Amino acid sequence: MEFEKISYSLGNQPARRVLVSGAVAAGGVRVVRGASGAGKTTLLRILARLTTCLEGQVFLDGRNWRNFPGPLWRTLVHYLAQTPALFHGTVGANLAKPFETRLVRSRKSFDPQAARSLLEEVLLPAGIWDQDARTLSGGEAIRVALVRSLTLDPRVLLLDEPTAALDARAREAVLRLLAQWVAGDGRAVVLVSHQEGPLPFDHLSSLDIEPGEKNAP
Amino acid sequence: MNNSVIPISNLQLAFSVFLVLIAGGVAAFLRLGLLRNLAWGTVRTFLQLVLVGYVLAYIFAVDNLWLVLGVVTLMCLVAAQTAVRRGPAVAGGHFLLAFTAVAASTYLVGSLVTGLIIAPHPFYEARIVIPISGMILGNTMNGIALALDRLYSEARSRTGEIEGLLTFGATPWEAAREAVREAIRAGMTPTINSLMVVGLVSLPGMMTGQILAGTDPRQAVRYQIVVMLMIAAAAAMGCLILVGLSYKKLFNADGALQPFVLQSRDQG
Repeated sequence: MEFEKISYSLGNQPARRVLVSGAVAAGGVRVVRGASGAGKTTLLRILARLTTCLEGQVFLDGRNWRNFPGPLWRTLVHYLAQTPALFHGTVGANLAKPFETRLVRSRKSFDPQAARSLLEEVLLPAGIWDQDARTLSGGEAIRVALVRSLTLDPRVLLLDEPTAALDARAREAVLRLLAQWVAGDGRAVVLVSHQEGPLPFDHLSSLDIEPGEKNAP
Repeated sequence: MNNSVIPISNLQLAFSVFLVLIAGGVAAFLRLGLLRNLAWGTVRTFLQLVLVGYVLAYIFAVDNLWLVLGVVTLMCLVAAQTAVRRGPAVAGGHFLLAFTAVAASTYLVGSLVTGLIIAPHPFYEARIVIPISGMILGNTMNGIALALDRLYSEARSRTGEIEGLLTFGATPWEAAREAVREAIRAGMTPTINSLMVVGLVSLPGMMTGQILAGTDPRQAVRYQIVVMLMIAAAAAMGCLILVGLSYKKLFNADGALQPFVLQSRDQG
């Protein structure tokens, strides 16, 4: 996936204009870095077409993003918020939630067995399946949501600080799972992270968003 | 028993001013600061109702199909305007949708009631059609104002869920479905509650009016049953149409939430 000259403005007074370009190749992980408020989350939301940008284009396999209908694009270039949305019901019901949309349902069906083994890989106990999703802790919630995103099988996963709420062991498990996932066919990850320390990815590159960048015309 | 309406003469009407003096006395005694409004409200009540009395008398006398349709449409315009004005201050364009909703429910439900149930001759008899339309409109207007308000507050409080669904490839309809359901529920609840308690807590105005006019209560009750069910149907239809059309305004052309839904209310 390549993105060219994505520009957007942040804040109200004074509005600050940000201009970024970048790419992430298949099998690659791109870490977006920048100070708080630099516009990292906004960049991910733009790439996922949840927020509109002023200018710029994104290409997936060389195809312009405008050639994809919005809902389809959002399943291919899938954004996972820092505070993920959990729905009324059990963890199991939440994991099946994406398969309620017509688009996803028409392509694949929910595989509870695969979801259970992913939960295990991110160190969540099997009993969590029947727990009310609204009673999960922050660290449990983000891992359940990550499993839910992986079952959607997107091409590019946009992750907003997925390990911020996790302890060292869980963080390691999540990163290991992501490294394993991104090695699959034609997949890529764009990751916003504040955390220092090594990331266990083979094809890792970073993208800096400068605070107060003034490339804007 | 005198089976006809007892007329109120001018002198008798003037006596009703004593009633205002009671309300005014309370307001003055407690210094509520309501005297001006009370006086102005009294004058307006006299003027507006006397005027409406003459206008209705004229319309009933003419009893022309086009005139009746014109009056009902005018009433729809006023109701749509009122419903939108009391609703949330959001990007414009709701007036047209509100008008579509009240007009569709009024014409459809009104035609069913006058055409099939009451069946006057001619079918457009102003004496029947105009009060029936007025009752439908008043309730539909309140219902859609509530539903519209709820739609926006639900969408604002559910942005996380709505965007979560969007990232699962949901269409705007799939993403907003829960908010739409809550909004329609909010719009329909008052009329459904009134079906539960009608006649127990208070006698409805229409039935009271018929009884005062000398109608046998058993007959007045029949009319009231029709009116209650008609109001429930019209409120349901109005809310469904309005919310079904206006949820799209929450989303942009790309199917993502509009920025004003994501911002806090005071910013937006």
